[in-house]
Formats: sequence, C-alpha cells, structure tokens
Amino acid sequence: MTSTVDPISLPKKAASNDTGIDREALAKLLVEIARNVDPDYRAQFESVPTADPRMEALRQLLVGREISELSRVTDLLDEPAQLATAVGGVLPSAAAQAPHAQLGEALAPAVERAVQRSIQKSPRTLTDILYPVFLPAIRKSIGEKIDQTFQSLNETLRHIFTWHGLKWRVEAWRTGASFSEVVLKHSLVYRVEHVFLINRNSGLLIAHVTADNATSEDPQLISSMLSAIQDFVKDSFNEKEQSGLDTIRFGELRLWSEVGPLATLVAVIRGNPPEGLHEIFRDVLLRIHDQSSEALEQFDGDTSQLFGVEAQLQTCVELKQEDTNQGFPWLVVALVALILILGGAWFFLSWQTGQRWQAYVSRLVAEPGIIVAEQNISGGQFYIAGLRDPLAADPQALLSGTEVDPARVHAQWQFYESLEPQFVLKRLTASLVPPESVRLSVVNDRIVAEGEATGTWIDQARAAARRLSAGGPEFDISKVRDVSPEARAAERWQAYVSRLAAEPGIIVAEQNIRDGQFYVSGLRDPLAADPQSLLSGTQVDPARVHSQWQSYQSLEPEFVLKRLTASLYPPKSVQLSIVENRIVAEGEAPGAWIDRAQAAARQLSAGGPVFDISRVRDPEERAAEHWQAYVSRLGTQPGIIVAEQRIRDGEFYISGLRDPLGADPQSLLSGTEVDPALVHSQWQFYQSLEPEFVLKRLTASLYPPKSVRFSIVENRIVAEGEAPDTWIDRARAAARQLSVGGPEFDISKVRDVSPEAREAEHWQYYVARLEAQSGIIVAQQRTSGGQFYISGLRDPLAADPQALLSGTQVDPARVHSQWQFYQSLDPKFVVKRLTASLSPPKSVQLSIIQGRIVAVGEAPAGWISRAQAASEQLSADGVVLDVSQLRELNLAELNSLRDAIQTTDIFFSSGKVVPGPEQLPVLDRLADQIKEFAQNARKSGVTARFMLTGHSDTTGRETANASISAARAETVRALLNKRGVAPELLQVRGAGTFEPLVPENSQAGSSTNRRVSITVNLD
Amino acid sequence: MLQKKICMLGGFSVGKTSLVRRYVQSIFSETYLTTVGVKIDKKNVVLPDKTVDLILWDLAGEDDIGSFRVSYVRGATGLVLVVDGTRAATLAVALTLRERVEAEFGAMPFVLLFNKSDLADRWAISDSEIDELRQRGWQIYLTSALSGEHVDDAFRQLALMVTK
Repeated sequence: MTSTVDPISLPKKAASNDTGIDREALAKLLVEIARNVDPDYRAQFESVPTADPRMEALRQLLVGREISELSRVTDLLDEPAQLATAVGGVLPSAAAQAPHAQLGEALAPAVERAVQRSIQKSPRTLTDILYPVFLPAIRKSIGEKIDQTFQSLNETLRHIFTWHGLKWRVEAWRTGASFSEVVLKHSLVYRVEHVFLINRNSGLLIAHVTADNATSEDPQLISSMLSAIQDFVKDSFNEKEQSGLDTIRFGELRLWSEVGPLATLVAVIRGNPPEGLHEIFRDVLLRIHDQSSEALEQFDGDTSQLFGVEAQLQTCVELKQEDTNQGFPWLVVALVALILILGGAWFFLSWQTGQRWQAYVSRLVAEPGIIVAEQNISGGQFYIAGLRDPLAADPQALLSGTEVDPARVHAQWQFYESLEPQFVLKRLTASLVPPESVRLSVVNDRIVAEGEATGTWIDQARAAARRLSAGGPEFDISKVRDVSPEARAAERWQAYVSRLAAEPGIIVAEQNIRDGQFYVSGLRDPLAADPQSLLSGTQVDPARVHSQWQSYQSLEPEFVLKRLTASLYPPKSVQLSIVENRIVAEGEAPGAWIDRAQAAARQLSAGGPVFDISRVRDPEERAAEHWQAYVSRLGTQPGIIVAEQRIRDGEFYISGLRDPLGADPQSLLSGTEVDPALVHSQWQFYQSLEPEFVLKRLTASLYPPKSVRFSIVENRIVAEGEAPDTWIDRARAAARQLSVGGPEFDISKVRDVSPEAREAEHWQYYVARLEAQSGIIVAQQRTSGGQFYISGLRDPLAADPQALLSGTQVDPARVHSQWQFYQSLDPKFVVKRLTASLSPPKSVQLSIIQGRIVAVGEAPAGWISRAQAASEQLSADGVVLDVSQLRELNLAELNSLRDAIQTTDIFFSSGKVVPGPEQLPVLDRLADQIKEFAQNARKSGVTARFMLTGHSDTTGRETANASISAARAETVRALLNKRGVAPELLQVRGAGTFEPLVPENSQAGSSTNRRVSITVNLD
Repeated sequence: MLQKKICMLGGFSVGKTSLVRRYVQSIFSETYLTTVGVKIDKKNVVLPDKTVDLILWDLAGEDDIGSFRVSYVRGATGLVLVVDGTRAATLAVALTLRERVEAEFGAMPFVLLFNKSDLADRWAISDSEIDELRQRGWQIYLTSALSGEHVDDAFRQLALMVTK
C-alpha cells in the first residue's frame, strides 16, 4: 500500500477566525487514533505542519455549526444595538420571574435616582401622574382637618363662658396646652366599643375585638352587611371613588370606617369622638397592612393566618375618653358667694346713700322758696348751695326723716324774696293785716281776697295790689264787699221785695227806701199769701215797713179754681183740676149742678181761664142711652117685634111679640150695661112669617131627604133636588098652607126619585153600614151599569161584609167585593189576636177598658215576659196593652221539685253512652219527679219542658266528644221515655267539653264531667 | 375560624329566602332584601375535618337580569343557584345569572337547587333535562322549603366544594 497521503480536499483558505485551538495536541490525538486503526501509518508522522488544511476541514466537520452559532452570539453581544433589542424582548418576563425582594432591592436605587432626576428635569410630569392618587387623599385629609378645627371651635365656644370653661382655662395655663385642646379633652367623651377588620374583597370578617361590656350581634354577619351597604351606596349613587363610607351615625353610635387596599377597619364608637381618632385608626390599619400584607392578600376566609391582627385592633378598642366627674367645688362656690355678698352689700349701701341724698335734693327742689343752685357728693360728704326765701321751709329741718346724716351735709344758702304766690300771700297777710271777714287765697297763681271789709282796708289793699302789679302775682280784691249797715239793710229789703213779686196773687206796683223807711204798694188777691207774714225771716224790721195793698181778684187758674170750689160746692164725684192753664171738671154730677157749673163757665169766659165741664156726666142720662141702644138692637132682631117701651123712675118697661125660634130678648141684654133687674118685659109668642123662620119650621116638619136642599131666594123658599113622591106630596100641602099670608114655598124644582136612584140610596146605606163596622175599611166603592163595586181592607176577625147585606134591599148578585185582610188595631181585634197568639192561661183575663187592653191575673213568669214583649210591640202601633196588673204565678211548690230535678246528674263510664246499672235507681227517681212536675205545671196552666244536656270529659278529639255527649243525652231521653215520661217534654243537646262541672285536671274531674244534666223550663 | 362567602342566586320568587329561613342564623329582617337588595345569613357546616361558616348573601331575586347587582358577588367563593321547579323559565334565569357572575369573577363552585319539589302536580322541569344537567357534573338537588328536603345536603356539598 502506498503511503501517500489521501488527496483530501483542503479548504483553500484557512478558517477566517483562528480560535487558537491547540493544533498540535489535536494532531497527535488524530495520529493516535489513526495508529489504532492502521499500525503502518505511524511512520508517516514526523511532524505536524503548522497549517494543515485537513485539520481545518476536520474541525469544520466536527464543530462547524457550533462555531457559526457562537460567532453569531458573539457578534450579538459585541453589537450594543442588537443586544438592547434582544434584552428588551425578554426584560418584562425576566422581571416578572425575578424574586420580588431582590428585584425590588436591585431596582430601588435606580428608580429613586430616576424619579429624582425626573423631578429635577420637570416636576410637572410626575405631578400629572400622581395627581389622581393624591387629590382624593389630600381632599380627605383637609376635610378631616377642617372637621377637627370646627369641632374644636364648637366645643371651645360652647364652654368658653361656663364654669368648666374657667376651670379649663386654669388647666390650660397650668399645663401650657392651648385652651381648645383642653376643651376637646374634656368635652369629647367617647368609647370605642367594637373594631372590625373586614376583607375588602369578600366582606368576610378577618378580626373583631370588643371593649368590655359591649355587645353586638354576630360580627360575621355584621361585617358582611357593612360591606354590602358600602357596595349598595357605591352602586346606588354611581360613586367611582375607591374609598368607602366614612361615617355612619345613629344616635349616640358612630361607625367610622377606614378603607385600606386589602382590608377595611370599621370602628363602632359610642359618644362624641375627636376627629383625630381617624388618624389613629388609619395608623393601625397601615400597620396591619405592613405586617400582614401577604396574608391579607391571600385571605380566603381562613383567619388562622391573621391571628396577630387582633392585638393591633385591641389598641383601638382601648381608646376612650371618660367624663372626669369630679366632686362639686363647694369651697370655691362658697368663697365666690361670700365675695359677691360683701361686694353686693357695699354696692347696695353706697347706692342707697346716694339715692337718699338725691331724694333730699329733689325734695328741696320741689320746695317753694328754695332754689338749689349746685349739689354734689364727694368723699362721702354732701355739698349743696342755693337761694332760699326766709319764709320757706328750713332746709336743715327737711333733713330730718331723710336718713341723710346731717353731719355730712354742707349747705350754703342765700336769702331772697320769692314772688311765688304763696310767699306773696304770706307777706301780704303780714303787712295788710286783713280783718277776719276777709279771706285771702291763691287761685290759679292769683291772690284772691274775698269777704267784707271796711272802705279804709279796701283802699290799703288796692294800694298793695298796685305795687304787686309790677312783676308779682295779681292781687284780686274785687270780691271784697264794702260793708256799712245801710247797705246791708237795703240789700235785705230788695230780697223781700223780689220775694213778694214772685208770690202769685201779689202784684208789687211801687217800692222805695227813704230815710231808713221802706215803702211798698200794690194789689193782692185775698186768697194770696199775707205780705206781712212773708216779712218774717227776712231780717227787715217790720216797724220800718209801710205797705199799701189793694185787693183784687187774680185770674190765675189756681185762684180761679179756689174760688170755683168755694162757690160751686162740687159733689165728691166731681174732680176739679188745672190742665194747661185750663180748669177741667171730671166725673158725674146731677143735671142741676151741671147747669150751675155751665153758668160759672160762661162768666169766666169773659177774661178768665177756660172752665171745661164737658167731662161731667149725668148718670140717669147715660142709663137712658144704654136702654135706647138695647131697644134698637131688639128692633133689628128678626122674629122680635117691639110694641111699646118707656122709662119711668129709673125703671125700664118693654112689651111686644116674639117668635120662639128667634133670639131670646133676655139673653140679648148681656153686654148692654142695662141692669136686667131694672128691665120689665112682656113678650107674646107668634109665628113669624119671615122666610128664614118659615124655612126652619119647614125643615123641622117635613124632614127633607138629603137629596133635597132648601134655600131662600128673594124672600121665597125654594126646594131643589130629588125626593120620593110621598115627600113631594107632603111638601105640596105645606106650600098650600103657607100661601095664605106666608112666604112662597116653591117645590117645582124637586124631581121625583128614579128606581136607580133608590137603589143607589140603598147601596149607600149599605156602604155606610160597612163603614160604621169596626175592622172594615172601605177604600173605594162605585156604581156602574147597575152593578155595585166595593173594595177595601177587612180584619179576618171583623163581621162578614156579605152577611151585612141582608136587610139592606141591595141585590147581593149585583155586588162585587174585593176585600184584603189586614190586622185592625181596634182593641177588640187586638184582644182576639192576643188570645190566639199568647194563649193566656185560664187565670188571666184580657179586657178592654177605655180603649186600653188590660191583662189581669196570675201567670207564669215566661208568659208574663211574652206578654210584655207583645205589649212593647203593640205600643209601636199605638195600642196599649197593660200588663202591669199581672202577677207571677206562685210556683213555690214546683220550685223545690224543680231544684231536685235540676241537681240530678246521670253519670257515665269513660267512652260509654249508656249509664251503668248503678245509675238506674237515679233514673227511676228522676222519671217520677219529672212526671209529677209536668202534671203540677199543667194544673197551673203552664207547660214544663226538660232539657237533657250531655257532657263529656276532655279525653280524645273534640268532635268525638261532641257526638258522645249528644249520644248520652239521647240515651237518657230514651230511658226516661221507657219510664213513662212523654217524649215531647224532653229536649236533648250535646255540650261536648264546653260546660264542665269541675275543672278537668284529675281523674275525678273527668269522671264527674261525663254526665247528663237536666234543666227545667216553663212555657 | 373558616368562613366562605356564598351568593344565592335565582329569579324572582323562586323561594331562596324561605328555603334557608329555617336552617340559618340570621339577624337581619327580610326588608333588607327590598331596601338594600341583599340579606346576609350564616350557615355553619360541620365537615369531618373542619367547621366552616358559610356567609350566605341572599340577593334580591330579579327576573330582570339587567338590574342584578353584580358587585355583591365580589369575593364570593361559591354559588347557590335556585330554580323554581314549577316555572321552567327560572332555570334559564339562574343559568344566566351564573354566566354573568362567571364572566365577571371567573368560574366558581356551585350547587343547583330545584325548589318547590313538594308541588309535584305543577312540576315543570322534565327528569331528562335534570339528568342532562347532572351529566355535566353539576351538583343538583330537588329541595322543598316546606319539608326542608335536601337543603342541608346541598349546603354540605357546597361547603365541601369551596373548602377543597
């Protein structure tokens, strides 16, 4: 074999990238392999060429792919742009897979630097990014701060002026805290009662802690419901914010919730918590999130992982602020009170002193003649200065009674003369010395002098008045009279004269005073007062009076009256009086006196007052007048003819004719004022032919049927209508009689009655008969075509209308009746009905007394009560049924028997409806008693009935008990019937368990209740 | 303490509330259903190895699916779907409600209760229909609020499912 090297095609060029492989070692290795394959080959290997293209080819064959891959990766790593692209593709997932803690640690410095850098570069960007996160947080924080401020302000204001406030101010000053802090500390009393930590996602309770003594319902349910309500509010109002309900308030209770990312803390607080408490809760919530974030995140309802949380929450429930209730500060209060009392007393005293001084000053000011110019108080001393009139009150003296200490008063007074009227008056009194008869007084600021004084004093006074006119008050002396004796006497004389002049019947013609003598002359009526006697009491000296009086007759009515009375002597029956200056005479007087009075009246008519005597009457004349009135009344009366009448000696005589049918003259006297005792009458009877009297007589004698009517027509008597021929004949005879002198009787208008009319008359008679019948009411009746129709109501108990037809001449065949039955309220019928319905016992009598139905007698109580019921019913119809006279039937004998029956019970064994054999003697005795009772009752007119009531015990179903009780009653009825008791007297009912004899709580009770009881009723 | 939030879903008047009334602890009155739209009860279920409190959110029944408050279901770990066996339409309502919940919060274990099983004469759901649903692996119970039949079983089953 040749040793030539196999023509291996070598790469024409060396590998572009010599990787520095130990080629020699590789070559040796290859040779080694080759020797193993062919031992001959070893000779060929001498050395290794430095660049053997075959080696290169081998390398390519073995690791060529890796080399190219490697070079690609190398290229990738070497080229930064490519490397960035590649790492960017895998970075997110790499970061996601990296352990959190390490990644966070690694990234933190870079992120911090990046943020820092970003803020330095442009703070705006980061602000924009964080804005949505910060804003709600800031808002909430500010809101809380404002709340806190307001709360503090509120409380501060509330307590600022109180006793607490004062105390707290001291505390603030002592502790160096602000006042509002102290206020909040004391006023916000609260207690955190519960704290819930709730999983935000599921609403499940993570932890719950409670303060001592606080209770609540199941916290699990509460926490779920709280988060449901959070959701509800959020959904309902479409609130996007990730926070929750901050506060729920219910009376004293507040729920505050702090929302964290994973859990919500809800605190239940009683009282008035400070807003700062929010912060505490938030801190606790943050701490819980910090410490247990992983457990919170993975919370699936298993709270065992979050056990430590409760300890954190516990710090919340321990929060409270209690009202420090200190004892009442008695000492402070007492001290303050003491200071107040002392201060008050001092203040009051000084005020009172000032008040008194002021009262004194105002008293001085009010005092006339004193003018206060100045006054003041200084250092407890009083100073006063001014003017005073010497006549005014002494200011010093005025001090007494004012309680102002005179020693502390310093006064300075200057004298002056006051022009006040009362001072002027005093001074005038002193200077003028007025006589006692003069009185000086002040009237409306004027000084008035009144009275009498001598002329010299008056002159003095006048001078004083003139002086005063310059500035002083007016001094009026006009009312002071100058008194001399002459003037006084003249005055009295004048008074006397005017008195005389006023006197009626005295005329003063002349009067004068001359030389102290008084002269008077005039006329006087002798009937007037005596002028001399009038002097008395006038203080005019009669000796100095010279009178001349001439008599005259006064025509003044009162004097004329006097004179008339004196001259005419009027009888007592006449009264004279003056009416409006006329003299009037009234009353009765004989004609002679009247004549004299008339003469006097005529005399007076010439100048004197009128004398009116028209009201004086002569009594005889009046009686005659009345008599004439009576006579003329008789004259106008039909059937009376007055023949003669006269008056003699006061007696009246009359005679004439009168028809007996005319008015009675005697009775006509009444009301005429004619004394019947003075009347003497003589009357003769006659038949008046005046038509009305004739008519009366005809009516009385002829008995005209109803169908005939009489009337007077122009003094003729006319008969009209229908009458039977017999009557017409009689009337005709009467007419003939009258034709001799009497008025005409015209019967031509009376027609003969037809047979139909006669029948109708009979029918009417029948109808009238029916109508008179009690218990029958005719509603309608008529005659038509010879047939009679009648309809109405009839009581079944009334007479039969058909039967009443007999004897009326009405043909029954032509009568068509329609009667409806009704119940008449006629007592007769009512009695009949009562008898039928009440069936009164024989011992009761029903009778009608004056339209009332009266029941009298004895009856059983049952019957009486039925009768009473009937009486009440009837009273509604206006019918009286008097049951007051009914007496209850004496059933004494029956009563003992009844008691015996009613106390008997038939007993039964449990579940049995047939009584046991031991009950048979009881049944025998009972049957005898019932029979005896029924018989006795019947004798007394009453019916006895016996009610058998079955009972059961409460064992078993109610329906079964009801039927068993009824069956027991039925059995007893059959057994009594077998013993001869009439079955119609026995009634049965089952009461079940409803009427037990004894309360059922024992065996004995139920055996007592299984029974049949009997009650007796009387009808 | 192990608790699980369970939502009871069903159409109007299917008897959810009366179904659980006798078997749960409750402190809230039924007026919560009409006011807040949810009433919360607690059912304590004792399992062999643990005890679990099922916090039952009884959501107001609405046939109008639109007004259903999905947010109440957040955080729930299981559902009780209630169908009125006498009204076939309520099955569709229950299934739709479940779909809505799953779309929002992902799949969760549930039991399906056909209620009013005591009203046999008015029963409106065929056995084949129920069998078909059972074949999907669903836990189905025929219940009666009147007799309380199977109610406890259903809660027990659900408790097992949610604590697995």
